[in-house]
Amino acid sequence: MPSDLPSQPFRRRPFTAGRATSAVAPAPIALTGVRRSYGATKAVDGVDLTVPTGQVVALLGPNGAGKSTTIDMLLGLTRPDAGTVSLFGRAPRRACAEGLVSAMLQNGGLLPFVTVETVLDTLRGLYPRPLSTVEAMRRAGIADLAATRTERLSGGQRQRVRFAVAMLPDPALLVLDEPTAAMDVSARQAFWAATRAWAAEGRTVLFATHYLAEADDFADRIVLLRQGKVVADGPTTQIKALVGGRTIRATLPGVDDAGIVTLGGLPGVSRAGRRGDTIELRCADSDTALRALLDAAPAVRDLEITGAGLQDAFLALTTDQPSTLPAPAGSKETAR
Amino acid sequence: MNPALLTLRYTRFEVGRIWRNPRFLLFSVALPLIMFSAFTATDPTDKLGPITVGPYIMISMATFGAMMSVVTVGTRIALERAGGWSRQLRLTALTGPQYLVCKVLGGFTLALPALIAVFLEAIALGRAHLSVGTYLTAGIWVLIGIVPLAALGILLGYLVRADNAGQLIGSMTSLLALAGGIWVPVESFPRWLADLVKALPMYWSADAGRQIIAGSWIGWHGLFVLAIWTVLLGRLAVHFYSRDQLRA
Repeated sequence: MPSDLPSQPFRRRPFTAGRATSAVAPAPIALTGVRRSYGATKAVDGVDLTVPTGQVVALLGPNGAGKSTTIDMLLGLTRPDAGTVSLFGRAPRRACAEGLVSAMLQNGGLLPFVTVETVLDTLRGLYPRPLSTVEAMRRAGIADLAATRTERLSGGQRQRVRFAVAMLPDPALLVLDEPTAAMDVSARQAFWAATRAWAAEGRTVLFATHYLAEADDFADRIVLLRQGKVVADGPTTQIKALVGGRTIRATLPGVDDAGIVTLGGLPGVSRAGRRGDTIELRCADSDTALRALLDAAPAVRDLEITGAGLQDAFLALTTDQPSTLPAPAGSKETAR
Repeated sequence: MNPALLTLRYTRFEVGRIWRNPRFLLFSVALPLIMFSAFTATDPTDKLGPITVGPYIMISMATFGAMMSVVTVGTRIALERAGGWSRQLRLTALTGPQYLVCKVLGGFTLALPALIAVFLEAIALGRAHLSVGTYLTAGIWVLIGIVPLAALGILLGYLVRADNAGQLIGSMTSLLALAGGIWVPVESFPRWLADLVKALPMYWSADAGRQIIAGSWIGWHGLFVLAIWTVLLGRLAVHFYSRDQLRA
């Protein structure tokens, strides 16, 4: 992230920061028991999610976790098999038509063989109280692309044009599906700076990502999806604390896969792995594990113990072997 | 938002966009013009049934150009579905049914230049000598005649995949034209084939205009065939459209 930006600028913003809101105003997002299957695959398997005004929420999960399907149902692009979706107390379709909600969709959304300005002018005419095209382009930093035909845009430019499209209705809720996927590092920084500036006025943002750093840097709250279910939901720090354990790294010359299985069975160790002679033990109780390790493998050296980072939390919570997780108190994890 | 205003705005955009597309100008406007001049070059005073060859082929080519405009709406729908533009539009105040109305309106608006260009060419080359009223009435009946084909265009848009939509719909229009007696007069078809073709809408699409030239009108039977096909293809189009909206 750029050094001149605070790394956690909006964390713990009070709910009342939103514009035009009162204690009884319906939440920007309210999903209850939402499910959707494609054939035998349960893409989304019972998601409950309420997002109050002014929050910036990251929907985090690996590919195939159900992020895009959740977003499609949220926007009324896909009908849920079960459950209800309400945006500002309205049906998604109506909230979009009223210009309260807009989105940057993952694929396409731009018509070829017309200029960026034409696309924006056209879509602008389909919203009740839109921004001017010039203002939308300014916010997305694409004034220089006005006369460019859409099929000639680079991947990163397309994303910025989509952001301008999402700005057009002047929405109160912005939904972003993998918004920085095609961007290089500087474009990504510029994008988040623009989105931050926009959200700072008390507006609500939900974004899907599988970039951990983005969720960590930008979101007030992280909702972690795995296999269509919410496996964790809370402030970033709380998500990190869910895993709680530590990781022991060390060198163990000559260690093989059978040895790793043995190490994985040591007391206090929840998962073991190796890269060459380097072993890595994820531990629910690192003190016990360390004593057991020194007994079991006296040749071990270069010992290093680290606390769990968000990366570890992410991997632990989203990989397919939930049984190795320590069951976190108060989370929705249903390990074992 | 006012639905009529929305629909008009989007139709205007649609027409403006297609009008600048060279493919549209080539297939829907230039091609019928070239074929008209080629087909009528030999003896424009020859008779086909009650009509001289000049006006007969003028109606055939005008119907062909107009038909291309409304059927290729399907290609654009297929491409817009694949390209995510349809999804983007669903996040605006424009409803799905309004989108369809815009597509049909746009198709018919773009049928006009194709139609008018062929009429003007026939007049300029001296191969048709009709009253202004006859040109107008014939033009209107050509447009009425292609209504079921507009429904077919929408249906194809939700039925075919974008990667082969262009080819499939292109060859389909050629077949339709053949079945409508646009390349070869239906009168020269074998009896069984002529009977079959007269149960399909395309023959009557072309006949609607021709009968005006012959000083008659399409008649209740032809109108009935057109209406039945419009309802049938329209119902199918709505069915596949709805399926697309729910799956998306």
